Amino acid sequence: MKNRFTWDFLMTRYPAFFPLILLAISIIVNWILQPNMFDRETLNSNMRVFLPLVLVAVGQAVVLIGGGIDISVGGIVSIVNTILATRVGLDGSTELMWRYVLVSILVGLLAGAINGFFIAHLRLQPIITTYATSFLYGGLALFILPNPGGGIPASIAEIYRTTTPLKLPLSFFIIAIILLVWKYISSTRYGKYLFAVGGKADAAYETAVPVTSVQFSIYVISGLMAALAGIAITMLSGSGNAEIGSAITLNSITAVIIGGNSFSGGIGGVTGPVMGAITLSIIQNIISFAHINTWWETLVKATIIVIALAAPGIINLLRRSGP
Amino acid sequence: MSKKTQKVLLWIFSVLIITSMLAACGGTPTQAPATEAPVATEAPVETEAPVATEAPVQTEESTSKEPFTIGISNPFISSEYRTQMIAELIEVNKEYMDKGLTTELIIESADTDVAGQIQQLQNLMAKNVDAILVNPGDVQGLNATLQEAVAKGIIVISVDQELNVPGVYNVGIDQKAWAMESAKWLAEKLGGKGNIVQIEGFPGHPANVARMEGVAEVFAQYPDIKVLATDTGKWDEATGQQVMSNFLAAYPNLDGYWTQDGMAIGALQAVMAANPAKWPQGVGEGRCQFLKLWQEALTMNPDFDSIAVANHPGVSPTGLRIAVNMLMGKQVDKSKLGGVNGLSFVIPLAAVITSKNLDEGLAMCEGKPDAYLLDDIMTDEEVQQYFK
Repeated sequence: MKNRFTWDFLMTRYPAFFPLILLAISIIVNWILQPNMFDRETLNSNMRVFLPLVLVAVGQAVVLIGGGIDISVGGIVSIVNTILATRVGLDGSTELMWRYVLVSILVGLLAGAINGFFIAHLRLQPIITTYATSFLYGGLALFILPNPGGGIPASIAEIYRTTTPLKLPLSFFIIAIILLVWKYISSTRYGKYLFAVGGKADAAYETAVPVTSVQFSIYVISGLMAALAGIAITMLSGSGNAEIGSAITLNSITAVIIGGNSFSGGIGGVTGPVMGAITLSIIQNIISFAHINTWWETLVKATIIVIALAAPGIINLLRRSGP
Repeated sequence: MSKKTQKVLLWIFSVLIITSMLAACGGTPTQAPATEAPVATEAPVETEAPVATEAPVQTEESTSKEPFTIGISNPFISSEYRTQMIAELIEVNKEYMDKGLTTELIIESADTDVAGQIQQLQNLMAKNVDAILVNPGDVQGLNATLQEAVAKGIIVISVDQELNVPGVYNVGIDQKAWAMESAKWLAEKLGGKGNIVQIEGFPGHPANVARMEGVAEVFAQYPDIKVLATDTGKWDEATGQQVMSNFLAAYPNLDGYWTQDGMAIGALQAVMAANPAKWPQGVGEGRCQFLKLWQEALTMNPDFDSIAVANHPGVSPTGLRIAVNMLMGKQVDKSKLGGVNGLSFVIPLAAVITSKNLDEGLAMCEGKPDAYLLDDIMTDEEVQQYFK
């Protein structure tokens, strides 16, 4: 009991502990620079932009825990965006929208299943496979919608943009649901398998863990989350653009790593990456409100991200070399 | 680190986290009159008071609240065009700052996607700017956000690229006419007959879409002009060079090529490097480096001809002048505006360089860096033509 609150204990027992500190620091800095940050309107407008990245990061986090990586998420986001923008259209009906939301989710699951099949069943390298399928999906999106345009009805986009149940941003509720679902999943047998496969697939296999199925499933989950992100980003922008997902892939991986998960798999969670994604987005706001010289912006942002990524390592190094 | 300090640290963090959470909750009760006075303590621009946030169109009269704050949103930084644009905006704004009309520009400029640019715009709104100049990275993705800004009484001007959003003004050249000018030249140069290739910018980018439409329209009038292939050079010199090299290898008998901004230098370099038996005639760009390269190409092959139509970044600082005049309460003369929804200030082209006036073009480049784009910024007096 004595060691309950030591740094090492917290860091190993609660993977979300360090991301929480980073998130708290970034919120406070942002708040100091932008006093109206917590106005309902400002909070909502921030969160609606952050949510797509949060969703993709959740999927990416599951993949990383399971010992893989998914570079095709941006492509899936783009496909979903172009499907909604071309099939629903600017003056489509609400019913049509929900029908294609369903189609989008199925497309996401299918795209994830293709990744999963290649990686789990054909035993291909995750990084190469999803790199290749990212072009497949991105190319398909460009085929569906060569030039930006189309869109969804403004009235439906407004649902996403301005709904604030209980005076809180819609995103808060979505994130809460995801965290609850994750809490449940991680307590099930599947959750244990997931960590086992990510940690040491061979050992898991020998103890009768269905390694192939678990590996397959993580990409399906990632595909699903990318589809949800695609729906969210379409409702945010109200329009279609085949390039819309291209920036999100690398950001999602960064968010997951800031969130305390590791490329080596088997550790971490989803809560940390959610906070990592929000932190990453807030960093951009901080840069914006700190009145940094335009020509320095990119450099400063990159520096902050590198520090955030390296911080746990640096702290451990200092502690080890200390007395 | 001793146990004690660790505990202290932990407490500090917990307190910080709890305070920020409390602050989050505390923020909500003030929703009704939101954004108004209470939070204005820290900002030096105490502009809020007179503007009742709700009413959308009432700024016209109550705008005697200088200095004005103008925000810039730019989602793409890796091009000389944007660099020159930002530098000129800062320079022109200085002029107004000295007169006490504006404050320092608030510039949101970074490589980003649609969601990122929406965030840029939201941040500008949160900073209570009076006007926003936006160079849009997407034809429609920003619409809802821009309308929110218009509803707040912010003057929104899309520079460089035309948007079709009610209440949003556009300032720029006519991209379609700009592209048609050089396409027409190429068609005439080839006597209305020949095999050509096209190298375009980002597919789907609003300016590129408008330009390619114009080009297609021109070539449609010349049935003997055959477009063999089109590829994207991503508005990048190196990519343009690579694409052109591929084309030269694939079609050794090429009569001409149409390209645009940023890629024309690469394309001409590819032609010069390949030095084919028959040189294709090609479209250039209004950049000093191109004019110099053109001159060099003539020493290799005196039959080579080109045209450089300037797509000048000066439209943005011109847009800034228009914004300032609008903020000062001047009424726009709507009869001078064009575009799809009658809200476009169409700025004339800065320069068209052909072999006849190449020397003049080179003279304009005197003392400028190679990356300089032939340019023209309207003076404050010239801008007055758009006002009553």
